[in-house]
Amino acid sequence: MLIQNGNVHDGLGHVLKQDVRIADGLITALGTLRPEAGEEVFDAAGMEVLPGFVQALSVWGIMGNTTEIRPSSNDNDEKSNPITPELDGFYAFNGRAATAQQLGAFGLTSCGVAPTDNNLFGGTIAAFSVDGLNPYKMVLGRGLGMMASVTPNLKTTYGARQMAPMTRMWIFTNLAEQLRKAAEYKEEPEKPKDDKLAAIRRVVDGELPLFVSCDSALAAQRVHEITAPYEKLRLVLVNGFGLTGEEQWIIEKKIPIIVRTASLPLDEFAMTLSLPAMAKFAQAGVPVALSGENSNAFAAREDLLWNASEMMRVMHDGEQVLSMVTSIPARILGIDDKVGSIETGKRADIVLWSADPMLTYQAKIVRTYQGGEIIYKEGDAMKCL
Amino acid sequence: MLVIKNATIYTMDDATGVVQADLRIDGGKIAEIGRDLSTDGAQVIDAAGKVVTPGFVDAHSHVGGIGPGMAEEDLNELTTPLTPELDAYYGINPDDKQFKNTIAQGITTSCLAPGSGNVVCGWVMAYKSAGKDRVVRRPVAMKGAMGINPKGVYSQKNQSPMTRMAIANTMRTYLRNVKDYMKKKADAGDDAAKMPPYDLGLEHGIPVIEKKIPLKVHSYMHDMMTVLEIAKEFDILITLDHAQGCSDYLEELTDPHVHGIIFGPTSAQLFPGEGGKLDPECCKLFDDRGVPIAVMTDAPVTVVNMLVYEMGEAVRHGMDPVRALALVTSNAAKIVGVEDRVGSLAVGKDADVLIWTKLPSEATDAVLERVLIDGETVFEKET
Repeated sequence: MLIQNGNVHDGLGHVLKQDVRIADGLITALGTLRPEAGEEVFDAAGMEVLPGFVQALSVWGIMGNTTEIRPSSNDNDEKSNPITPELDGFYAFNGRAATAQQLGAFGLTSCGVAPTDNNLFGGTIAAFSVDGLNPYKMVLGRGLGMMASVTPNLKTTYGARQMAPMTRMWIFTNLAEQLRKAAEYKEEPEKPKDDKLAAIRRVVDGELPLFVSCDSALAAQRVHEITAPYEKLRLVLVNGFGLTGEEQWIIEKKIPIIVRTASLPLDEFAMTLSLPAMAKFAQAGVPVALSGENSNAFAAREDLLWNASEMMRVMHDGEQVLSMVTSIPARILGIDDKVGSIETGKRADIVLWSADPMLTYQAKIVRTYQGGEIIYKEGDAMKCL
Repeated sequence: MLVIKNATIYTMDDATGVVQADLRIDGGKIAEIGRDLSTDGAQVIDAAGKVVTPGFVDAHSHVGGIGPGMAEEDLNELTTPLTPELDAYYGINPDDKQFKNTIAQGITTSCLAPGSGNVVCGWVMAYKSAGKDRVVRRPVAMKGAMGINPKGVYSQKNQSPMTRMAIANTMRTYLRNVKDYMKKKADAGDDAAKMPPYDLGLEHGIPVIEKKIPLKVHSYMHDMMTVLEIAKEFDILITLDHAQGCSDYLEELTDPHVHGIIFGPTSAQLFPGEGGKLDPECCKLFDDRGVPIAVMTDAPVTVVNMLVYEMGEAVRHGMDPVRALALVTSNAAKIVGVEDRVGSLAVGKDADVLIWTKLPSEATDAVLERVLIDGETVFEKET
């Protein structure tokens, strides 16, 4: 099909009035295009054409209305052991549950799914389409990163049950020790495989990035001290809480930051988030993605849209803020070959808006395409039952 | 004396509307709105190119009464399902640092209510975020709650109410007891011997039965219809708070017993039962029918920053941006019962004034530059 005459924002900073051709779920051509014989045409004159939003870390398909009738229904929260790097976040995801949240109504077309930050090493991150049934068809990538955490969540999860960790001493010592042991780890045919160290070894070798949830600037600094000796290790900072925008080690190494929402005011760490600091990093070339909650059932479907509006009050630059909810999170997750921008060869995850949602609340979704299929259109009711 | 010059003023006062004018403040009140006002002896704020709105009224909040731990938990007395004798006034810490965030978002008055764990929870008050005399009015409502909150609290204790059946009964019994109490008092007249024993909880219900204040009920989906049935039965006023799914009952809720609908907060997931529908389009639908509707933060359940986005979603779902401003100003003040003091800019009203770079219900990057409460600047944007 052909989407004609729309104002196309590519998610990489460019805006151009052009036509978009979609075939087999992909964007196959951009420019001034003539309809081919029998081709379906949609006139998007006066509309803004944006990439589908990418939520780097989310609870979609895990929490909320998937809560089952037995306890322990949060499938990304294996709180039996604070060190579970061998687990795969892919298995936590329930496609129908994500679909039931109608995320397309909020401009989302893909989301990252990670273990909670209740474990020092929680397991690996996967990314999915937001609409579908079969996780194996919806998956955009598995093992995209290792989720780790040095927040006090570990202490409240384990210490409160008289288990380690009870202190930050344990948390940081074990982060350092696990990395050291993993760096020395070798698989030997006569010895049983150590799944945990083997999983962390891949992080030390830079095969996948290490996403570390930090509650403060000091915690981020300590993670930096501990991880910096491993030259191949690729660090991603999660949350951004307490950072000032002046941290030179982040700017010099362009360490990506996933900004988690501060939607819960009772979280005193979240309230230390400074968006002006995040804007400073972004202006210095640090990849900054806006995301939502991934460890709390109160996560909202509006997170990306509202966080983008909040950032607009600081940055006043619609294209730059748009990239923070599209191409940048896709790049941090390593799924930017498939989604996060409107370019030839990318998946046709395209949202037609009546106006630019980065600029005005009057922007309404006309159609949301995921892989060329309409998953939400204007007038669809938002209800799960 | 203070004069704000050359602003685009969204007065939210039906008689004045939107005007390009000056606004003079004297003694904490609005003294005059008009063109080319004299600035003799006055402090002047040049607001050329700026947007002026009334201070926001958050029609449902718990700021200052709920915090991260038990030490700061002062609005949820979850020990018995009927606590009408309680009063939010005693649960609020005026120095809570959350009020600073509240001001920075332009919220100058909050309707502070007990939490929703009990069927009848206690008195509600309207309270300013700063200033010398912060109680705008007390009480403005009696708080009540339906659905999974009271069920969740009391079923864990093996007590009633465990079901929606018992919640309806508990609420009805309370109101009937208030009416009986009032009748006994009236029958006793001047005869002290016949006077029923003083009961604070029943005393607190009298203004509800007298329709002086509404029963402010946490209610979603079909629970709203239960509340309406009870309201008709006792001929009382109700506000329906949270009200997700209210667009399913558009005709029924257009009823004189419905004093107002306070919608939101919308930032959540869908879940079966009372969280099964999200309908921000209800703001336009009820406004068009003349039913007063407002939005809320429910802070600190969500952050106070979200009030502007709740309003924004109403615009995204069809509401005109100027009408949408009423959701957090004039409508909210009317529903809370403080429209004689706040929620619009008119001579004699409190000088609770916001100065913005753009219209906050339209432009996502509208920046709040200054907040005045009772004519005093309580927030200024760092430049």
